Amino acid sequence: MGARELAERTGWRVVGKPIPRHDAWDKVLARTAYAADWEMPGMLVGKVLRSPYPSARILRLDTTRARSLPGVAAVLTARDVPRNTLWTDVPGQTTEVGPLRAKLHVLAEDRVRYQGEPVALVAAESEETAEEALRAIEVDYEPLPGVFDPLDALAPDAPLVHPDSGSNLLARWNVQTGDVASGFARAEVVVEGTYRTQFVDHAYLEPEAGVAWVDADGVLTIRVATQVIEHFRDVAEVLGLPHNKVRVIGTYLGGGFGGKEDVTVEVFLGLLAWSTRRPVKMVWSRQESLLARSKRHPFVMRYRTGALRTGELVAQEVELVADAGAYAFLSALVLLYATTVACGPYRVPNVSVQARTVYTNNPPTSAMRGFGAMQVVFAYEQQMDRLARALGMDPVELRVRNALRKGDRLPIGQVLETHVAIPEVARRAWETLGPPQPPSAPHLRVGRGLACNLQPYGRIVWLHDWASAWVGFEMDGSVVVRTGVPDVGAGQASSLCQIAAEVLGVPVDRVTIHVSDSALTPLAGTTTATRQLMMSGNAVLRAASELRDQVLRVAAQLLETPAADLQVEDGQVRAPDGRTVPMVRVLRECARAGVPRSAFATYHAPAGDPIDLERGGGRVFPDFTYGAHAAEVEVDTETGAVRVRRYVACHDVGQAINPQSVEGQIQGGAVMGLGYALLEKVALDRGNNLTTTFATYLIPTSMEAPDVVPVVLESGEGMGPFGARGIGEPPVGPPAAAVANAIYDAVGVRVTELPVWPETVARAIHGLEGSPKTQGEGGHHA
Amino acid sequence: MGPRPFRYERATSVAEAVERLRRGGPGAKVLAGGQSLVPMMNLRLVEPERVVDINDLPLAHLRREDGVLVLGALVRHHTLEESEDVRALCPLLSEAAAWVGNARVRSLGTLGGSLAHADPAAELPMASLALDAELVLEGPEGRRTVQAPEFFRGSLATALEPAELVTEVRVPVREPGEGWAVEEFALRYGDFALVAAAARVRLDRDGRVAHARVALAGVGATPVRARGAEDRLTGELPDPDRVEGAARAAAEGVEPESDPHASAGYRRHLTYVLTRRALERALNRAREGGLL
Amino acid sequence: MRERTRVSISFELNGTHRHLEVDAHRTLLSVLRDQLGTLDVKEGCDEGVCGTCTVLLDGRPVSSCLVLAARLDGARVTTMAGLSADGRPHPLQEAFVRHGAVQCGFCTPGMVLTAYAYLRQHPAATREELRRALAGNLCRCTGYAKILDAVEAYAREVSLGR
Repeated sequence: MGARELAERTGWRVVGKPIPRHDAWDKVLARTAYAADWEMPGMLVGKVLRSPYPSARILRLDTTRARSLPGVAAVLTARDVPRNTLWTDVPGQTTEVGPLRAKLHVLAEDRVRYQGEPVALVAAESEETAEEALRAIEVDYEPLPGVFDPLDALAPDAPLVHPDSGSNLLARWNVQTGDVASGFARAEVVVEGTYRTQFVDHAYLEPEAGVAWVDADGVLTIRVATQVIEHFRDVAEVLGLPHNKVRVIGTYLGGGFGGKEDVTVEVFLGLLAWSTRRPVKMVWSRQESLLARSKRHPFVMRYRTGALRTGELVAQEVELVADAGAYAFLSALVLLYATTVACGPYRVPNVSVQARTVYTNNPPTSAMRGFGAMQVVFAYEQQMDRLARALGMDPVELRVRNALRKGDRLPIGQVLETHVAIPEVARRAWETLGPPQPPSAPHLRVGRGLACNLQPYGRIVWLHDWASAWVGFEMDGSVVVRTGVPDVGAGQASSLCQIAAEVLGVPVDRVTIHVSDSALTPLAGTTTATRQLMMSGNAVLRAASELRDQVLRVAAQLLETPAADLQVEDGQVRAPDGRTVPMVRVLRECARAGVPRSAFATYHAPAGDPIDLERGGGRVFPDFTYGAHAAEVEVDTETGAVRVRRYVACHDVGQAINPQSVEGQIQGGAVMGLGYALLEKVALDRGNNLTTTFATYLIPTSMEAPDVVPVVLESGEGMGPFGARGIGEPPVGPPAAAVANAIYDAVGVRVTELPVWPETVARAIHGLEGSPKTQGEGGHHA
Repeated sequence: MGPRPFRYERATSVAEAVERLRRGGPGAKVLAGGQSLVPMMNLRLVEPERVVDINDLPLAHLRREDGVLVLGALVRHHTLEESEDVRALCPLLSEAAAWVGNARVRSLGTLGGSLAHADPAAELPMASLALDAELVLEGPEGRRTVQAPEFFRGSLATALEPAELVTEVRVPVREPGEGWAVEEFALRYGDFALVAAAARVRLDRDGRVAHARVALAGVGATPVRARGAEDRLTGELPDPDRVEGAARAAAEGVEPESDPHASAGYRRHLTYVLTRRALERALNRAREGGLL
Repeated sequence: MRERTRVSISFELNGTHRHLEVDAHRTLLSVLRDQLGTLDVKEGCDEGVCGTCTVLLDGRPVSSCLVLAARLDGARVTTMAGLSADGRPHPLQEAFVRHGAVQCGFCTPGMVLTAYAYLRQHPAATREELRRALAGNLCRCTGYAKILDAVEAYAREVSLGR
């Protein structure tokens, strides 16, 4: 029986309820041991020596003095790394997809390509000694020319970031559907814009951290804050060890957001622990993290959009250029996401998307919540706003008119197989703003803006994604779940407990879950790509359902009643006529009869093979989450300050497993998106990072965050358990566009570059003298 | 990670502190609230060999001497913000202190420390200018008094000689008919100001400006007095046009720098806006008898 | 080798008397975590900006990363664990859990302590006053709304004399 039917029978006891999470209690009672909260006897402290230059040759690297300091146990450079060059697939996947593989050096060899690139590692008896050891390493650099803008990097005479690749162009994707020339010829109104987004940082409150040791069986064990425990394979490759000799234990994260998706400390810890045969702890400083950790891809996005006077879209011409930074990491995949959803959740018959991602000597860019699909919202929703204004059309009406429907195709040819809730979310978000309120002072102007989005959930189908889970009853009727799911703090583990509890008829606190151990829990893949609820949720659902069936077959014999008629609740199995048998009795009978009291299941996501996007041939993602945000801003016309006065975020989540967690994701994601819109910027000056402290890298405080009003719709048609869709990434997409559209509504200023600082708005209103200080590109207001 | 190791000394009297600083030379730093020094040590921006802890010095006093409020250099920001006496006798200082950082900074940060650190975007140095504050300094050569404008020499640079400490700050008690206001603009609540303005105006019985002080932060290497604005107002009836003219004069009188957070042109523009707003609020308060 | 100074400190940690010999340059954060194993105090930035290292020092919130251990003599230090008794959560902690204010949990100890200290001084605080009081504690997960819901709810319960 399907999950939703099952839940109907069980009465939706647990799923769909805002139950406090088990890890929340642990966290307030200070029981949770994060990655840095781990001590072992004889533990050393590990640190990384990093390049101060964004582009340089290493002429000399001498670790003699460092190695001779008392208390220094190891100093390692590229020479000491068995396999220093990694070819990384998409993290955690077992299926390779050619263009998505990326080359990475563990430690720099003869060149450094970004400021902060790791050059050497030390392990020492104390933090102080480790710091002294870093200071004692002698490095002579010869600074080299670098490139710091993707378009500069594509010029024929540009210095090559990776000379052996022949070009700074890392990857390109093209989509051509229909005929854009004839589309524009038909268009009765055409709007254009160039939009620029910035480098931002994940800025999780917990810095990167972990401890590694070699256990009694000779297994290299790494306890680390990670979104991907499958990195044990990367560590094994680097060290030249068999994969089954490396174990990664993922801790409960203090935030991930994609920043703990690539390897961070794992390989360094593995090298140091293996070399010293002692436990080693490495905790990055905030400043180190802000300096050197991968960032979100900045995009330059040129859009030309054509429509009929009725509002019907007829053509979209899009050019995307992304800055891949010094190393590829996930840049090709991020670009693919952006390309796939570049036209937004709308029907457009004629589409051209040309997308490129380019190496520079800026910090490497990789995964961050939204993953390419969020940057383009800033562009496509402002295009829609321009169109609505050009046509004198209500912003909701324009979206509704063009919204994709179930059964329609995206420009890449993918057919949408589930409900597309754009009309509902757009209407609900807009009307939930309520009646317009006047500005609170004469120098203030109020405006409202709408932005819709679609965000994929689940990995691209070319990766043939899967996740496994094991669910079992103990003899006393309590339940154990084992699955290799990293919990990033968004309730990944607790949702699985709810699912198991619902299916097996136990209270949720009767479920214990063990997660995130590559040796002891069945692998479930990465906690990224808004995939985990669908993947491990379905795996747990499947395993729990199989277990329920196994156990009820035995109970059926005891009660002489068909299994399909039995209910399980409160430790009792109940027949329709009221007769019961205690579950513990059933379990004892299972043991006697040799019926397993556990089940193991694997969920396979919809799979497909790579398509040629240009030939418009098919499926890239399993499915999408649709949303709409509505912002009301108050603009201070004197200072240009933008205050978000009211903010509504509406998403169709299919089925909320834990409504409180869903609301929390929506509110947190929206505020992260507002930080992206109004505050955050990694300031780079020719590859030199100027914002390497929390004093200078500005994330929203409670004063900058409005109370986001979450509106949760449940269409029941998601591919996750009980019809759920993912909600981790979707809310981070619309805010920048919603705010930009609201600013235009308030003061007639179209902001096309992020972040929108007050100066940008003030300049547009007052025409101030002098030039603005922007990231080297000048302020464009197209 | 914490600072690199240093020799720690604790003084229990001003004389002892001065002597310890003298012996420590340029490698010695003063520890008061630590809210500026310790982050700089943590980030390795400074690496003193010696730290002289002055928290036990008897410098936390707060007393009125006729028309002057005398504050010990170790009075903490939260006291400035919350003390009934400071709020009544020198409300401009209270209002400025409320803008300093966040609650944790205000728990420990000190008045003397903030002045001695002399960040050009900080609130209390600016307030000291608006208040015509007198700073009492003590060092190896003895005790001396310096007026606020002479104290601030450059970005993070003051008139303090080697081994000299700020021990006391003297500010005028608010007079009847005197209004005040502090306006701050930052990208985020609690951050250092992009630009801030502090205004103090006293009206005479005819409603004319008997006395005006306008000070600015974030527009130069030190906090600055907007004398152009003050001159426009003094002796005049402060109607909206005159206030506007004073604010414009303030903006014309500054030479801010551009940096990644704000351009010079924008800082100048903010100077105009914040000066005008500060003057408007200060004048309203003055008219209400300073009871607002 | 840089000179260092050993100091002897006697202070109260969550109601328990502690006596330690420490290097004076060590911060309170380092002493709490590395010497005393008090791991509910977190290290987030070492600049005093993020608030994850917040402890109450004589009842006032401070950044433990900015307090030198030498200043601890005679002080009373309270961490998150000091609010719960015998492993039972404090009502404010309970409110955080009930209202969904805990996601990754890394900001939670600092948030709870700051809210607790503020409400003791300002029991009738409005939501906007609470928002301002918590502005020095960064959160990257929740968007702050449910944190304010929790603190408001707790404040209401306290004022009702629960």
